[in-house]
Amino acid sequence: MKFIVELALKNLARYKRRTIITAIAIAVGLMMYIIVDSMLIGAEYESMRNLRWYETSSARILDSGYWENRMQLPLDKNIAQPYRIIEELRDEGFVGTPRTTFSADMILSSEDFGEEGNLPVLITAIDPRTDNDVFRFEDTLIEGRFLRPGEDAVVLGSWFAEDLGAKVGYWVTLVTRGNGGFYEAMDLQVVGIVNCPNPNVNRTLVMMPIDTAGDYLAMDGAATEINILLPDSKDANGYLVEIQSIIDQSDDNLAVYSWEALAKDYLAIAEAKRGGTGVILFLVFIIAAVGISNTMLMAIYERIRELGMMRALGMTDSAIHMAFIIEAGGIGLIGSIFGVIFGAFGNFFLVNYGINFGMIMRDMDMGYRIQSVLKGAWNPSAIIIAFLAGFILSMLVAWIPTRRALKMDIPACLRHQ
Amino acid sequence: MIKVEQVVRDYQAGETVVKALKGVSLEIGDGEFVSIAGPSGSGKTTLLNLIGCIDALDSGEILIDGVKVTSMDKKEKTTYRRNNLGFIFQTYNLIPVLSAYENVSFVLSILNLPEAEIHQRTMAILREVGLQGMEDRRPSRLSGGQQQRIAIARALVKNPRIVLADEPTANLDSKTGQEILKLMKAMNEKYHTTFIFSTHDQMVMDFADRLILLHDGNIISDERRSV
Repeated sequence: MKFIVELALKNLARYKRRTIITAIAIAVGLMMYIIVDSMLIGAEYESMRNLRWYETSSARILDSGYWENRMQLPLDKNIAQPYRIIEELRDEGFVGTPRTTFSADMILSSEDFGEEGNLPVLITAIDPRTDNDVFRFEDTLIEGRFLRPGEDAVVLGSWFAEDLGAKVGYWVTLVTRGNGGFYEAMDLQVVGIVNCPNPNVNRTLVMMPIDTAGDYLAMDGAATEINILLPDSKDANGYLVEIQSIIDQSDDNLAVYSWEALAKDYLAIAEAKRGGTGVILFLVFIIAAVGISNTMLMAIYERIRELGMMRALGMTDSAIHMAFIIEAGGIGLIGSIFGVIFGAFGNFFLVNYGINFGMIMRDMDMGYRIQSVLKGAWNPSAIIIAFLAGFILSMLVAWIPTRRALKMDIPACLRHQ
Repeated sequence: MIKVEQVVRDYQAGETVVKALKGVSLEIGDGEFVSIAGPSGSGKTTLLNLIGCIDALDSGEILIDGVKVTSMDKKEKTTYRRNNLGFIFQTYNLIPVLSAYENVSFVLSILNLPEAEIHQRTMAILREVGLQGMEDRRPSRLSGGQQQRIAIARALVKNPRIVLADEPTANLDSKTGQEILKLMKAMNEKYHTTFIFSTHDQMVMDFADRLILLHDGNIISDERRSV
């Protein structure tokens, strides 16, 4: 056994250039896997956080009828007394804020915007006093000020404002249908611009005070939703059950929905992307397998006569097989060690500094709720998998060519040129 | 004692069947120094390969010390070769990454002998073939004659009963070839090892105690002589 190991290691050193090139191919493949895995996990983690902070909150209370017709944003399927429910929730330790979401036509005047125009928009009416308890928009303000209760004002997402050419102080007119179907128009001044880290929100965000919207839309103190902040916990379902039991006492028609239910589409995409990680892993393994297989194939066919001589002198096929597998394992080990080192090194920068994808994210919707800097995340299991896979796979792919070579007759091996 | 009885061996070369041996019979006693000679394609190497249990015959039988080669399975043949046979090849077939010492000692390593014995026997045989002081050199740093000396040392280090040499001097100049033959003869006399070597070189034939001439797969003469 000692001789077999020594022979394998000496052969590794004998073909230095080939060993180094194959090991580098494996190392690059594994490094790519570690980094891509880190980026996907980081993107997923940050996306989920940005979803909860700027889009869905942790959980949302809706009228059951609203949930069924949520694509139509029906104002009549509302929560009649949102503040009473928020009060009851607060008594049980939960933080909530009401919101009303409705669609409108935004009319732009030539006075401010240089030319007339209109576009469909989604308006989120918020309570400026409590919204920041659940969401984090106030922290993202880059221009002007945040909303104040009762004022005729809007805050826009920065990308949306950029697309419109809107600035703080400009006026916009919203035309919509109120609760009951009547038409209503409201003139609102842009008082602030937020740069929301969630690109889906930043691209379309128009926020106004909920009491102003309530007056225009005849909501009579009602809201279409109550958004709730839940502590990070593994037992989110337990909280939802508790909240449901609280709201059941007030209104049978209300139901609480987790952020996962609200962001079902995103989660489906994320799941598909996780599948994509598997494909990347598979491709990396194919690259490594082809590289090592090719190297071993060349190494074996160059040594057919040597192999014939060893067999003639009484060395068993299993011992020769072992020598080649150890040699391949050696290449795999070198590649895996460097792959993990390079991967960890690259990941260190990714986790701490990230990569700025702002230019891409601005014009392209990749599904992720990340606006600019994408940071990675450490995933020890991916590093261990990459290491073991590189090492084990290298030995596996050497098995077949060695087996084929050992099937040759010894005289044929000895005649081999 | 090696007994070859009516051995037939055919090869398929593309569409045609090449009859390498057409019913060869012979006996070789222990300690003989035998040359199998003949032109290219006469069946010399095939006969050596069959005696060396690295090729399979089509019909006939080979008995080595009464044991039928055809009755041995692959594993038994490997064990037999490991314990009883030494090979010397025309192109030396040394392992380039190993030193002269390692090229010889690995034959003992696969016999699982103790490290001390491996060292002692390897050094002794290298001394006998005149390679003392060159133990650490790799084959690439040795001349053809020196490489063939390593091959001889490798074949003899395990004290085999039979050494099979396929054109051992074909790649050497005549002076070095003669030295190698003298060395093989000396080893034959010292260890009483049976040497069977193939050749088509008259100088090599003249060295043999017994000359078997093959032509087109048949033995056309078998003469014993005193050298």
